[in-house]
Amino acid sequence: MASIDTVTTSSGPAVPPDPPAQAGRARPRRGHGWRRDRFAYALIAPAVLFMVAIHLLPTLGGGVLAFKNLNTFTFSQLFGAPWAGLRNFEAILFDDANPLHNGFLNAAGNTAVYTVVTVAGVLIGGLLIALLLNREFPGQRIVRTLMLAPWVVPSFVVAVLWGFMWQSDVGIVNKVLVDYTGLLDDRPVWLLGPNSLWAIIIPSIWRGLPFCMLIFLAGLQAVPKELHEAAAIDGAGPIRRFFYITLPLLRPLIAVQLLIQVIYAAYQFTIPWIMLGTNPGEHADLLMTLIVRQSFSNNLFGFGAAASVIVMLAMSLWVVVWLAAFRRDLETQR
Amino acid sequence: MRRSVALALTAIAAVLVALALGACGGSDDDNSSTGSTGESASTGSATSEAKSFEGQKVTFWIMNNGPHPVEDTEKILEPFEQETGIDVDVQLVGWDVQFDRIRNAAVSGEGPDVTQAGTTQVPFFAALGGFEDLSSRVEDIGGESAYAPGIWGTSQVAGQDGVWGIPWFTEARTIYYRSDALEEAGVDPATAFTDLESMRATLEALKDVKEIGGKKIMPFGMPGKKAFDLVHNVMPFVWDEGGQELTDDNTKSAINSPEAVRGVKYIADLFPEGLADPSMLERDGTQVENQFKGGRLAVWIGGPWVLSSIDREDDTNWSDAARENTGVAPMPKGPTGEANTFVGGSNLMMFKSSDVKDAAWELIKYLSQDDVQTEYAELLGMFPARLQPQEALGQQNEDLAAFYEAIQTGRSYAPIPQWGQIENAYKTRFGNILDAAAGLGGEKYSEAVIQSQLDEAAKEADALLAQSAG
Repeated sequence: MASIDTVTTSSGPAVPPDPPAQAGRARPRRGHGWRRDRFAYALIAPAVLFMVAIHLLPTLGGGVLAFKNLNTFTFSQLFGAPWAGLRNFEAILFDDANPLHNGFLNAAGNTAVYTVVTVAGVLIGGLLIALLLNREFPGQRIVRTLMLAPWVVPSFVVAVLWGFMWQSDVGIVNKVLVDYTGLLDDRPVWLLGPNSLWAIIIPSIWRGLPFCMLIFLAGLQAVPKELHEAAAIDGAGPIRRFFYITLPLLRPLIAVQLLIQVIYAAYQFTIPWIMLGTNPGEHADLLMTLIVRQSFSNNLFGFGAAASVIVMLAMSLWVVVWLAAFRRDLETQR
Repeated sequence: MRRSVALALTAIAAVLVALALGACGGSDDDNSSTGSTGESASTGSATSEAKSFEGQKVTFWIMNNGPHPVEDTEKILEPFEQETGIDVDVQLVGWDVQFDRIRNAAVSGEGPDVTQAGTTQVPFFAALGGFEDLSSRVEDIGGESAYAPGIWGTSQVAGQDGVWGIPWFTEARTIYYRSDALEEAGVDPATAFTDLESMRATLEALKDVKEIGGKKIMPFGMPGKKAFDLVHNVMPFVWDEGGQELTDDNTKSAINSPEAVRGVKYIADLFPEGLADPSMLERDGTQVENQFKGGRLAVWIGGPWVLSSIDREDDTNWSDAARENTGVAPMPKGPTGEANTFVGGSNLMMFKSSDVKDAAWELIKYLSQDDVQTEYAELLGMFPARLQPQEALGQQNEDLAAFYEAIQTGRSYAPIPQWGQIENAYKTRFGNILDAAAGLGGEKYSEAVIQSQLDEAAKEADALLAQSAG
């Protein structure tokens, strides 16, 4: 979570209209920067100390543990546990004989599918609903407020609620699909087997959608009406206007959403853990549930730390790719 | 610009150093305090005979035992506190967090004086080195001979001298059945579950009883991988076939042996044959328990607390029909002629870091008195851990006799520190097998699936057994 916050703030300036210009005005003379800004540094110092203490230090600690042989027998030594060199990483990434290797690859695959589908669902769904709600219609405000409801529900509650809804014999989902509408003949089992990945993807989209919609709605309302009017006069239909006016103007917002949502989805833990238990099973085991289970239930803290480092590196790589892909969009805001 | 970066870095470095020093200081304190308490405890025990405990405070961690854990325990301890002057601070630590909290307390040396721990957790906690070896004290409470062998075994760590946890209360799994369903199926409860074959025949007969009082009922149901105790429900059938969880010397897994495969197959086969309700696999242990109470299952495997909840008006999960017609039978006998079941429960462990060890032992001693054991177990719907009060309870009625019998022949797992992890690995694989058997897994169910899943389980267990301190 903390890492998501930092990413959000660092990419924050991209959202408002023209932050680079303002930043340029803020420091005209470079010579006496420190003395002039002393007060500002004093103000942010507590926050920096706090971040170092609760964020940076544990991260570094985790990084150290990734190179330790930390298991049932050495757990009590914690940082004094014997060094393992790169053995933890080797076992996870390459050692076919090590059961942790298969578990990790499987969870990584599930996490990839989960992330792609969830993020695509949230972004596309959020945009569609935002487009709908951007029109004038009676009761518009009430509908908008209602649309935000899933966002207010804590993930924990989402998981518990959907856990009941998915139950094959008495859950509302199958009641609707089978008993009320007859869309399906057999009652599908959602919480076990291959369907269980969908059982966590769908509630995740359901919960992620409102926030995304809110951001897009704000973006849509900032699109000048004159552009649409001018294009309409030139004969552009609604679909062309969407692709040539709306979408390009929303690109920076899409970029930011993409960054946040991918990281959020890749670090998803609460929903599978609460809905499917400490071991969601091979079809729905995500990286975070695997790492927490192996670390805290199985005392394989060295493995957990090494796997976390790998995930962190993968996420850093994603940020680099993202920057390369969207840097120009963010800068053209000027 | 460059200067401010340097300054920021210096500031961060300063904080890091300060925190690192703080952390070291903290651990130094811990070491010195455990050292000194160790001394005071040893001098203390030398003069313990005439010692008064007046004003000493013992902190005691308990888990959610029964519906009112803290009140029940405090009630039991009232006479003890009056008699000895020891003030017992009973603190509730939920089952969901107890593993982490006890482990952290044992490692950091900052925790209570006495804690409850699950029987299969004792070897792991003992291996952390934060707990007191109680072997010099256990003669006070009758030692080994006061307990059934399976239960006393849970106080030990394999290959190591010492007594690490005193058995507090006990549970064992038995068969619960609906006598009205059996009657309708024309099966005599007395012989319905004597061995594996008769149990299957009983379930076959129950298949024709599709509903009772207009309510659908399935012959059998058990939870799948969502239940924390899945392994406790499957292993009895493995033991029945002569299989074992590990080899005799605890160095290798034995879960993929032909006997173990037969045992797992027995229970998994109930699903494709329509004898077990597949939807139960989606639920956790408590939810399936409530399905039996609600009258949707004719046969189920459960612990003694369910029996004692029948008379509780406030347990609204019970349907009237189930409340009035529930019976209990010992687990079936296997081809080996033995009836195996899992026996578990909780033990009491004393922290090495406690500075009131003698008072803490007085508490354990009090909780190990026969009458206190009986009274407490009754409050929880569990069985006492000690032999004599167990016997007395077993003589009260037929259902309790079934539990008493189960406990005497009950088994637990190999007492090794890695057991918890191995159990997790087995649980995953057993869960996969049951899912496949119910047609819900990725693979088509066959004996080959059981074999390959158990091979994987054995591979994982072997890797866990190979863990070392090096």
